[in-house]
Amino acid sequence: MSDKNDIALSVRNLKTFFYTNNRCNKAVNGVSFDVKKGKTLCIVGESGCGKSVTAATIMQLLPTLSRIEEGEIIFQKDDKKINIEKLEKNGKEMRSIRGSDIAMIFQDPMTALNPVYTVGFQISENLKYHTNLNKKQIREKCISLLSDMGIPLPEKRVDEYPHSYSGGMRQRAMIAMAMACNPKILIADEPTTALDVTIQAQIFELMDRLKKENDTAIILITHDMGVVAELADNVAVMYMGNIVEAGTADDVLRRPTHPYTKALLESVPVLGRGKDQEINPIKGSTPDPYNRPVGCQFAPRCNWKTESCDVMPEIEQINETHQIRCHKYEQFFESYNGKRDT
Amino acid sequence: MLLVISFLVYLGLELAPGDAVSHMISPELASTITAEQLNAMREAYGLNQSFLTRYWLWLTSMIQGDMGYSMAGGVAISEIMAKTIPATLELSIVALIFSTIIGCSLGVISALKRGSGTDNSLTVAGMAGVSIPEFFFGLVAILLFAIELRWLPVGGRLLPHYETVWDRIPNIVLPSMVLALMMTAGAMRYARSSMLDVLSREFITTARSKGMPEWRINILHGFRVALTPVVVLIGFRLPLLIGGSTIIEQVYQWPGIGSMFIRSVRASDYPLVMTISLMYVFVVLTASLVIDILTALIDPRVRLGKE
Repeated sequence: MSDKNDIALSVRNLKTFFYTNNRCNKAVNGVSFDVKKGKTLCIVGESGCGKSVTAATIMQLLPTLSRIEEGEIIFQKDDKKINIEKLEKNGKEMRSIRGSDIAMIFQDPMTALNPVYTVGFQISENLKYHTNLNKKQIREKCISLLSDMGIPLPEKRVDEYPHSYSGGMRQRAMIAMAMACNPKILIADEPTTALDVTIQAQIFELMDRLKKENDTAIILITHDMGVVAELADNVAVMYMGNIVEAGTADDVLRRPTHPYTKALLESVPVLGRGKDQEINPIKGSTPDPYNRPVGCQFAPRCNWKTESCDVMPEIEQINETHQIRCHKYEQFFESYNGKRDT
Repeated sequence: MLLVISFLVYLGLELAPGDAVSHMISPELASTITAEQLNAMREAYGLNQSFLTRYWLWLTSMIQGDMGYSMAGGVAISEIMAKTIPATLELSIVALIFSTIIGCSLGVISALKRGSGTDNSLTVAGMAGVSIPEFFFGLVAILLFAIELRWLPVGGRLLPHYETVWDRIPNIVLPSMVLALMMTAGAMRYARSSMLDVLSREFITTARSKGMPEWRINILHGFRVALTPVVVLIGFRLPLLIGGSTIIEQVYQWPGIGSMFIRSVRASDYPLVMTISLMYVFVVLTASLVIDILTALIDPRVRLGKE
């Protein structure tokens, strides 16, 4: 295992449940992962698999009908370990972490900025609450943040309202806001889903640069496998509230060992192969969260299902970095790849 | 706009039975008066001319700033207006301020404590406030506060022994509160739904993710955005306030324009009715202009064409 000091955030057996109409949706059901300083962890999975809930749980930004049921979120603040799940939701301590140590970028920059305040004002709020800078310094910092994000004429743009920004610029402004206090961890919840592809690339480049410059750990939530291949140092694949496979980007993308990961990768169309290329969508759809299959959650959609899959598989360690939650992974892996060399 | 409405009001008055002269004559006199005498009176007041001629005469003098004289009392209308407008303004402005402040804050509280007992009781009170007519509230309030408890005067505005502004406050409390009530209920309902809508928006989560205290999120990010539709609603309800003041002024013997309006309509006092209704129209039109300006001030998205 790598050095313990590298770890910025560590999540252990996290369970977040939603309670609606007397039913319980186990949105996040026992998730564990580590995020290392200056590295990017990509969490991938279909819609509704619990990616965003995991992110919201780390920030303690869950809606009122949900709560953390079990598990630990340990945030390494300098030399101290802070158990985030024990902090009061909107209490002082949680608030002092939010926005300064852990910051978040949201999916849709069109709605994530307040339309009635200037961009500068919204960035400055962050600085006002987490730093001791005076008004003038805050303003200068806002302008320098915007120019860092590649926004032209930042001195002028800082006093403009979000509606005069384009989508890509708004997302840059969001990132400026999130990066204002040099957070140790940046959570990006599908930051480019609402943007077009050229802007996507720019945004990711920007995030990558910030990661290198500030040693920020990034948790990137996405369902775009191309993005994962581009940016991830580590990857965690989620399905129905569990991590089914995790490891370095190499592990997961080059040697996918879970039938679900493999299926996800195969369902991505490849540019240049033309419109007649064969893409293999995963059969069936995600089960009703209120009526889950027993045992392995993916079993009903899996070609490798056997009787043993009626029992929930435990996480197994394939090698130092690669983890898998599947009973049949060895046979599955050999079936398309021959004997594993590691 | 003003022209069309003034014509319609004039037409309405023409169609109403009776004229100023028939109201001037007391019932005892009516039995002895001759038809010639009546016609002479009509001629003296110019009522024998055709409808269009009279309208034209009225219009031209109005445009020149001459509001004419009241037919019932012979007093210059400008004088009547000067006396009654301040009274009505006083009442309406106090009511407007109260209803806006109380309505908005109750609505916000209601939205923040959504689903709680406070919210439910405020909702019920709001519905009651919107649906029960004002004159009923007015009478109940008189009964309770003025007659039973004797805290406040029954009605009136100025009494001879009043010297300072403070002496007048007890008189305005009841009518303004009753007048404000309906507006408050409406503003509250609207502020609540607007606030709930805003609180579910994504930028509230963004604000929360910046680690700001809840009050700042709710007031600065929530209420500020929720305010725009509420201001528009209050503006559009200004006519309601004026309409309401007509009734409330009657109930509380408030010497304002509303009670003057009712009296003048009863007396078929053309010049006075015309002036007052034109003023109402003017107020409504001004109100919508003011709303437009206010919305632009509150919501930067409305500020267009500014470079």
